[in-house]
Amino acid sequence: MLSRVAENLYWMSRYVERAENVARLLDVGFDLELDDATLDTDREPAPVEGVLNILGCRQAFQKRYGTGTADRDAVLRFLTFDRSNSLSVLAMVAAARENARGTQESVSSEVWSQINRLYLYLNGGKAQRRFEESPSRFYDGLKRACVLFAGLIDGTLPHNEVYHFLQVGRYLERAGQIARILTDRAHQLTPLALPGDRPLQLVHGTSLLRICSAHDAYLRTYQDQIDSEGIVQYLVLNADFPRSVRFAVERCALSLREISGADTDEYVSESERLLGRLSGELRYLEAGEIFARGLSTFLAELLETCDRVGREVHQAYFFT
Amino acid sequence: MFGSAAASAEQVLIANYQIHGFDEMFAAPGLARPHYERLLGQLNDLGPAELARRNRVADLSMRHQGITFTVYGRDQGDERIIPFDPIPRLVPPDEWDQIERGLQQRVRALNLFIHDVYHSRLVLKDGIVPPELVLGASGYRREFVGVRVPRDIYMHISGIDLIRDVDGRYLVLEDNCRTPSGVSYVLKNRQVMKQVFPVLFEDHDVRPVDDYAANLRAVLRHVAPAGVEDPTVVVLTPGVHNSAYFEHSFLARQMGVELVEGRDLFLDNGAIYMRTTRGAQRVDVVYRRIDDDFLDPLTFRRDTQLGVAGLVGAYRAGRLGLVNAIGTGVADDKGIYPFVPAIIKYYLDEDPILPNVETFRAPVDSHRQHILANLDKLVVKAVDASGGYGMLIGPASTAAERDEFRRKIEANPRGYIAQPTIALSQHPTFFDGRLEGRHVDLRPFVLYGEEIKVLAGGLTRVALPRGCLVVNSSQGGGTKDTWVLRELPPRAAPSNDGAA
Repeated sequence: MLSRVAENLYWMSRYVERAENVARLLDVGFDLELDDATLDTDREPAPVEGVLNILGCRQAFQKRYGTGTADRDAVLRFLTFDRSNSLSVLAMVAAARENARGTQESVSSEVWSQINRLYLYLNGGKAQRRFEESPSRFYDGLKRACVLFAGLIDGTLPHNEVYHFLQVGRYLERAGQIARILTDRAHQLTPLALPGDRPLQLVHGTSLLRICSAHDAYLRTYQDQIDSEGIVQYLVLNADFPRSVRFAVERCALSLREISGADTDEYVSESERLLGRLSGELRYLEAGEIFARGLSTFLAELLETCDRVGREVHQAYFFT
Repeated sequence: MFGSAAASAEQVLIANYQIHGFDEMFAAPGLARPHYERLLGQLNDLGPAELARRNRVADLSMRHQGITFTVYGRDQGDERIIPFDPIPRLVPPDEWDQIERGLQQRVRALNLFIHDVYHSRLVLKDGIVPPELVLGASGYRREFVGVRVPRDIYMHISGIDLIRDVDGRYLVLEDNCRTPSGVSYVLKNRQVMKQVFPVLFEDHDVRPVDDYAANLRAVLRHVAPAGVEDPTVVVLTPGVHNSAYFEHSFLARQMGVELVEGRDLFLDNGAIYMRTTRGAQRVDVVYRRIDDDFLDPLTFRRDTQLGVAGLVGAYRAGRLGLVNAIGTGVADDKGIYPFVPAIIKYYLDEDPILPNVETFRAPVDSHRQHILANLDKLVVKAVDASGGYGMLIGPASTAAERDEFRRKIEANPRGYIAQPTIALSQHPTFFDGRLEGRHVDLRPFVLYGEEIKVLAGGLTRVALPRGCLVVNSSQGGGTKDTWVLRELPPRAAPSNDGAA
């Protein structure tokens, strides 16, 4: 496959994953604000505003809207429709589409049409009307559109090199996003200090699980035991849940191996080695050990590994 | 009940329909030509509201699939869909037979002409075409004099624009021998028509167009360097910002080959390779959608970023097939156009099956005087412009525009030709629940490989503004599906509706 095409595919899928992530964050944030009585807004920014921190774009927002209290609607629009903000859903969908446009002939027409439709929709008046009517339903529609994109990739492309470059982009991005969200919440993810903290931790924990679409699945595994250890166990170390770090890392490693054609017990590229080591570690770690090491430190190392893998993939396949 | 409803629908659809010049569907007001009778009946059965609804579905389908082109000259390239008109154009078998034979003849002769120009130049020595016109044409490439091209084929892909005069005669308006575009719309229009108006295909024996990609692939493989058994073919595009990018991508996908940009290719040891995730891969044939000038900075324009350094050298050395060949612009120069009938006669000793439009040449004194005296009646064209740019349409022009062209023609007679303003044929086109006549032309596509094949169909372009004579998509033209009929549709039974 052409190196340029491989790079386009990789980024296309990263951008869609990112856009979906923003939509999830805003959806849950907005929902939380509807019953903000339970929140401790003195210590924490309001949930929607907090998304600016997770995405690291508070400064960009303040540059545009001033440093006063962030208005919820302004934040939502900044992160959804603002083209000047490269992290907005619209900007990322546009970037994904631009990459897809340059590789139309490699993906199926269904996949191209899906991203094209999403882009046209977000640019049109219909999206604005939906958003004004009900942000929840609007973001839900966005998430569905992104999931459909991934589904069409799974269902309409042969699982060859094209597919695997899309997978590498998607899962590498996902692993990083989960790590970033957990980093932002690391100070909340502590063992219970006082019994009185329980209700608040339940709210935080629930929102965190919902951001990762993990709430229902988590409850099936742990019943009503929403606590820090369980959450880290589930979102970092779980083998079967598609939005756990381990799952994403393993999928990414698998696709890299398919691309290089290496055997399961070998590796050809540095990116495979890094991911293989990480996935081995995630496989045998326990949540308690992570807390013992320090959750923030652990997540920082995890993010560093993801970044290195990204650089190595570029070196190995895109700069030939 | 049904009868009266259908009758009133019929009146709505063609109420106030005006015939100016030759109408493709109607021989006289309310009287459809035999091959259109069935279609008109079907359209009436659907009714205006249903037609409008389906028309919107068709538009949406094109937009979702990203069947767009880019309009230049606006801020950051505006992506638009070409307006699509749902009323198909029908070409009966006898007319198509004439078109097909005429195009094969013309393409064969033009190809011989190009070969001659770059080799023995008999056509110039025998005084058929003035040498200064050929050697001074902007599409002439002196770098290619004496270069043998694979199988002596130069114009593998051409699009020849046809129009019809007031008597319905097909005339050649223009040859496009470099990188004609539009074929993707032919294929997509058909696909959308089948999805949205399946009912219209009943009772019509329409020849398929979907063999184009396979035929194109065969043409490309045909020019692979000698000894390469399974050649690697690529489509070379200037990139996503080119107005025809959709087409480049579409053709690559249909043929199952890579779509490459100049930066994906490089020269190594005399051959061309592409950069892939598994290292360099040899390329044998390039279907380039980049003009000669931008193809190779070592041979042509040095400021190009679109091309590949060394590509022309590899081609010259026979290490690479290139489609179309370099230098085919001599054949579609508007200055050469008036000589094509003589060129056909010269090489094939046949009379042209499809005549030219009468053309006056500004370098000839008597012609020039005629042109200057009749600027308000003629269409004046710059010989090295295309796409509807650089034209003066006399009857629609202002005095200032005519003065400007008068000065230009006097300063550079070689740069201009003029033709009588032909009232192009018109075709019923759907507007606001009614049919209105709009001018159309037809661009069939011709492939020259082992044999010369004409795609059974073509791009019918419609000038959407009322009375407008320019059909180019860059000038606001639309398209419609073109049905070449294998057989005439069954005649409608005599209607009793009127009596009911």
